[in-house]
Amino acid sequence: MPSELTVICADGDDADRAATARALSDAGMRVQSVATVAAVRSGIDPDVDCVVTGFDFPDGDAYDVVNAVRDANPDLAVVVFSDASATDLPRPNQGGLVVEYLSKTMPDATERLVALVSQATTPNYQIAYPVPGDEDERIEALRRYDVEDSDAVGAFERLTKLVASHFDIDVAFVGLLDEHEERFVACEGANWETLAREDTICTHTILEESTMVVENVREDPRFAANDRLAELDIRSYAGVRLTTPEGHAIGALCCIDDEPREYSDAEIRDLELFGEEANEQLRLRRRLDDSVGSSG
Amino acid sequence: MSSLETAYTFDAVPIEPVARGTTLIVTGPSLEGLREMLMSALVAQPTEGTLVVTADVDAPTAAEAYSSAGGDDSPGRLRMVDCSPESETTATEYVRPIADPADLTGIGMELSDLYEGFYADGCEHVRTGFYTLAPLLLYAEDVRSVFRFVHTVAGRVRSADGLCVCALDPDTQDERTVSSVTHVFDGKIELRRGEDGAQIRVLGLPNQPDGWLSYDPLSPSK
Repeated sequence: MPSELTVICADGDDADRAATARALSDAGMRVQSVATVAAVRSGIDPDVDCVVTGFDFPDGDAYDVVNAVRDANPDLAVVVFSDASATDLPRPNQGGLVVEYLSKTMPDATERLVALVSQATTPNYQIAYPVPGDEDERIEALRRYDVEDSDAVGAFERLTKLVASHFDIDVAFVGLLDEHEERFVACEGANWETLAREDTICTHTILEESTMVVENVREDPRFAANDRLAELDIRSYAGVRLTTPEGHAIGALCCIDDEPREYSDAEIRDLELFGEEANEQLRLRRRLDDSVGSSG
Repeated sequence: MSSLETAYTFDAVPIEPVARGTTLIVTGPSLEGLREMLMSALVAQPTEGTLVVTADVDAPTAAEAYSSAGGDDSPGRLRMVDCSPESETTATEYVRPIADPADLTGIGMELSDLYEGFYADGCEHVRTGFYTLAPLLLYAEDVRSVFRFVHTVAGRVRSADGLCVCALDPDTQDERTVSSVTHVFDGKIELRRGEDGAQIRVLGLPNQPDGWLSYDPLSPSK
């Protein structure tokens, strides 16, 4: 609903910015007006639902705004609202800066902008990764698990230590896939806490029922250009899904190494057995929490 | 209001009407009539518009294919973004050339602009098609930008009660990428060569026929 939306309205032109902000505000949106790319960068927080931007700024252009937004919140939608036609706007150096676009010269442009912002804030509107068909139910199911207490973390830490030792790999982890990021519940061999969904391999693992193996990340077109994986020295991957009793995939138990690596059928079966153990731990957490909830 | 007024119907593809806001991927060999099936699915009813992103062939060729499928390719009824390699298409109000299929920024903005143009002209229901996704996947620096692009188009189509149909020959792409891309869409139509000719089946959509059906890509009607 527009009345619940918080929108950053960025435009280097004072009059244009005021007019756009007024249109959005009149539609019931909370509007933060900013005049520079730097102000956009500092204004992004979890409460922001969408960014509407003009093209020219004293310290850059709309594509700099897009980069600033994606650095802070990769899933946040950006709408370019410009009086220049789509054909006349200069193109960015990078081809992948996907945005929504609306010309200010369109009839009823401000009404269309309000509609466009409303639709751009629907779930998964401008995300850079696939989601399962049961994404809403999956996220709702994930909320029923509490794995943050020390007992649960201890169980997963023991399990990932065992997995890393068994496969003689650099890193083993249990990760849960929240709406926008992967949360590492236990991570043997690294200090990872969270990773944006678009940077994770596990986002793809939860799409398929079979265990996912990426023998060489640099040779898989889904991940070859992912700089974040390279920064983390993730060169090979094997992951098994963690699912709820209803079948929703909420995370994965994974093996990581800094070298290309194959996994034999026997190793994959072993990983799946470890995965079943992780699933049991998860289900135990849910049952305990449900019983606490029902008795309290 | 009849169900046909709240759904997209298909005269030349043997599937049942689909709800407004639906996104589909059509996969199969190009030589088995992939383009013909896509264009048939995009043929607009009198109150609808059609928007095609053509990446494998240039705009005139795509318009001819649309016309052959029974569509009205007159200016304004059919609007196109032409990002096919080496295209010599000239920009007009309704046809927008993009020099590089890797320029997803430009393709997306031109697509949005043409879509908004339909609204401005009073046309609220738009069939959007991609022939095909392959060059976008092939030329993209990072496949994640293609996911973002397809999600953005799908989001617009869902919000606007449109229809989106994307064609992809899976043999031209890494099968892992094809599998992941498929998850962005509500449903899938598979095209294959059967013993007696082309066949299709629909996956992931309600109220559709089960199993493989004979399909004649050269037939103008059921």
